[in-house]
Amino acid sequence: MSSIIVVVGIVVYIALYFLYGKRLETNVVKANNDIETPASRLYDGVDYVPAKTPVLFGHHFASVAGAAPIIGPVIAMAWGWLPALAWIWFGNIFVGAVHDYLAIMASVRYDGKSIQFVASDLITKRTGKLFYWLVFLILVLIVGAFGAVLGNMFVGDPSVPSSYLLMLVAGLILGVLIYRVKMNFTLATIIGVVMLIAAIFGGIAMPITAPKSVWFAIMFFYIIIAAAIPVNVLLQPRDYLNSWLLYVGLAIGALAALSSGVQFSAPAFTSFAPIVSGGKPSPFWPVIPLIVACGSLSGFHSLVGSGTTSKQLDKESSGLTIGYGGMLFEGFLSTIVVVAVAGYGLGLLVNAGQDISAANWGQQYLAASGAAGISGAGMFTAAYAEMVASTWLRFLPGAFVKTIAGMWVASFAMTTLDTTNRLARYTLAEIALPLKDKSEGAYNFLTNRWIASAIPAALGIYLAWSGTFSILWPSFGAGNQLIASIALLTGTAWVAKRLKTKATMALIPAYLLWITVTAAILWHMFVVVLPAIQSNAVTNTVVFIIEAVMFILNVVFIIDFVKTRNEPAPEASEA
Amino acid sequence: MSEHQPNFLIRLWRSLRAFLRGIDQAQRERVVALTAYEARELENMFVLMLLGSFAGMPSPPSFLAVELLPHLEHEIRVLNRRAESSTDALAEIMGTIDADA
Amino acid sequence: MKTIFFTGKGGVGKSTLSAAAAWQLAESGKRVLAISFDPAHNLGDIFGRTLGHKVTRFSANLDLRETDLDEAAAEYIRRNTSILTEVYSYTKAFNLDRYFKVLRHSPGVEEYAALTALEDLLRTSDDYDVVVIDTPPTGLTLRILALPRISITWVDRLRRIRRDILDKRHTVHSITGTFSEEGQKLAYEEKDDRVMQKLTELFDRYVAVARHLESDANRVAVVFNPDYLSLRESQRILDGLSDLNLGVNVAFNNKYTQGLSEIADSMERELFDGRDAPPPVHRIPWEPYRREKSYEISYDLTQLFAL
Repeated sequence: MSSIIVVVGIVVYIALYFLYGKRLETNVVKANNDIETPASRLYDGVDYVPAKTPVLFGHHFASVAGAAPIIGPVIAMAWGWLPALAWIWFGNIFVGAVHDYLAIMASVRYDGKSIQFVASDLITKRTGKLFYWLVFLILVLIVGAFGAVLGNMFVGDPSVPSSYLLMLVAGLILGVLIYRVKMNFTLATIIGVVMLIAAIFGGIAMPITAPKSVWFAIMFFYIIIAAAIPVNVLLQPRDYLNSWLLYVGLAIGALAALSSGVQFSAPAFTSFAPIVSGGKPSPFWPVIPLIVACGSLSGFHSLVGSGTTSKQLDKESSGLTIGYGGMLFEGFLSTIVVVAVAGYGLGLLVNAGQDISAANWGQQYLAASGAAGISGAGMFTAAYAEMVASTWLRFLPGAFVKTIAGMWVASFAMTTLDTTNRLARYTLAEIALPLKDKSEGAYNFLTNRWIASAIPAALGIYLAWSGTFSILWPSFGAGNQLIASIALLTGTAWVAKRLKTKATMALIPAYLLWITVTAAILWHMFVVVLPAIQSNAVTNTVVFIIEAVMFILNVVFIIDFVKTRNEPAPEASEA
Repeated sequence: MSEHQPNFLIRLWRSLRAFLRGIDQAQRERVVALTAYEARELENMFVLMLLGSFAGMPSPPSFLAVELLPHLEHEIRVLNRRAESSTDALAEIMGTIDADA
Repeated sequence: MKTIFFTGKGGVGKSTLSAAAAWQLAESGKRVLAISFDPAHNLGDIFGRTLGHKVTRFSANLDLRETDLDEAAAEYIRRNTSILTEVYSYTKAFNLDRYFKVLRHSPGVEEYAALTALEDLLRTSDDYDVVVIDTPPTGLTLRILALPRISITWVDRLRRIRRDILDKRHTVHSITGTFSEEGQKLAYEEKDDRVMQKLTELFDRYVAVARHLESDANRVAVVFNPDYLSLRESQRILDGLSDLNLGVNVAFNNKYTQGLSEIADSMERELFDGRDAPPPVHRIPWEPYRREKSYEISYDLTQLFAL
């Protein structure tokens, strides 16, 4: 069953890539390889460098890969595997990948300027400024949500934190080897991979057990320190090791999923509104985008794609492969996650003594996972390990496979924590800019590098510590999808105003997305967060306020968008 | 018939090698991407410091700039390009440090 | 080769004293060069010669020169404008063409020209035992004397950044191959980087000058008069020199008469009390200005500089 689904997924993606994606390319974007891309036209050897398509695909994919394409689908299983796959496949194909593709292509035609720039050009300057606010707020929520994921995982599987610690050491050593000693790169890579494997085995041999509060404290200091030290010391070598982890984990997972042939024990469909967020029945529409972001649709991709990928496109036709195709590939990753949980989730929960069956899955899945200590990442690693063990890959030791999966999530999540902190310092500085004239003291305070680092870290860790994961995750999703809907609507503005094409392929998903995300935020704010303030006052008030601000920004955006909808594009801002 | 088999195997071997080479190149680029970015920012800062005297910033004595300027063609280009893109930095940073969930 | 800088407010008799010292030292057997950076051209008047950039032989042991800083500045600008218009086409360089005509008057050019002249002087004067230098007005003198140290600081800072840049380029090169831009390979080794070479050259040059100024081969003399008019500026000179870590080796209370002894006492107290290592003060008696040979004074200066 699982293999069939995986194959079906591959076929669906490939088929619609050609049937739908190509149409998007030809009829809407009208990609033309005779037009020189900014990578060659504005070549500068650092940002603007044409890269060969497969290489750029790898870069882009590794950039957008994270822990979210794994965590999201695990939670979405509450609706059953069919709705989850439906969103991962069709949400991706008709909305998510379109969003990524349009953002990249608009950027390419704008001399490689970001989607934020395009928005401020085609909509209003204020729209561009919104991005700083939204990104900052999301960064706080990311730390909250991912911090909670990590907290749960570190407690549930103590070999993961110790493996990760050893991996950090390996990263530091690798950094010295590559940048100081300037060792031969291939040799350094081999040493690095060997150290990584050693880290995994080392972690299994020496697990670190500690209460969640300790992990949260460690995370707080980790974020601040890792975001302050030079990138050559930790960030770059660690990311390099991460990429190997990603490829190996993905390869093993794909092979296992294709050859496992397990029957799905989880139900195909539970109900329209099972318990997902905050213990409340959550309607599939509009909530699913908040749960499964990366893997189907993610606003951050538009920024990453229009930030670096678009400047490296060697020809316009590569945009489809990398932008559209890259997103589909991430969907493939999420498909594997669904398959693993669908096949093994029920068995795992029953073995852990939970009272759960296909019948009460909708109501009990998340609660049972939490009670059994295998929610979120834990469920993934356990299911992944089971899936691999059931195939010809069972020669790989079980603990090793489970820890690889755990490390995969942990290393990406931890990386996200400190890179978002670096980003938060920048966005906070941009947000605080108007203060400069009014209150220089406040401005200097907010832009002090330690304060600017500590504020989002402290807020985020506080949320992770005291908050409810099932409330935090969708709020992060909400912010992310808000950016996605702004980016997609900007994409349609580009299509309408610059390309002067009437494009239903872009317009319909864009409007539907905006309506969905707006409804979802309102639902989450008033059905989940507001009532939860009673039981957890401060934390949920903070979450409510953050979501309220995001909602207001959303309203400001749509007003600006509608007002400028029929205005022609300004003169000469693009190539 | 005997001509097809070697061709196929050779083609397979060649594509495998190209694939591995591609991965090698991609990984090499990844590992120095931030270093190259930093080098470029330092070049920007270097020439900004030098030319600051022409713009009223605290800076080295102006003759230093005049002495070094003939050799700083590349850096001045960097200066101009960075000045243009400094207002559009958010996405660039996110892409450069792989800030994604 | 030792240098003696005569500093002081204009009109206190600095040029006369420096000429006198030069003459006496030459007569005592030393090979002396007397050079003036003062735009007032007093040296030529005192020795009765028209002096210029080229050395004028005055006697067997005494050579004379005058440096016109304005001319030096103009020449410097001219030289660099031509370098730059060679390298940059007119449109590319933020209208440097127009800018450079203004540069001549910008702060720093005069000092730089003087620094270059000083450098040249130090480099080419090994034939002499003593070089006596008549300095320009106080402000400019202090700025010129400060320039080597300031330049060293800046050049060092720039060198550090440059080294960082080269190191990073080297890292990129060693892993991915050439680091090039528009077909032009960027240097990643110090030996190939012209900017680094230039910076090192400048660094060495300024260090040489700074070292000389702070060394035992250098002497600084301060000249003032026993009247309160020269008090403030003399204090400024002393303060300025002390900020530069340059000590004053000898002070001259020039145009002294018996009747001014009280003022002279009080001035010397105000100037030197409380300072570290106050210099010996010599009161040079007022002598009427002679039209001929005004460089001959009765006070013996030859032993005062501990040469």
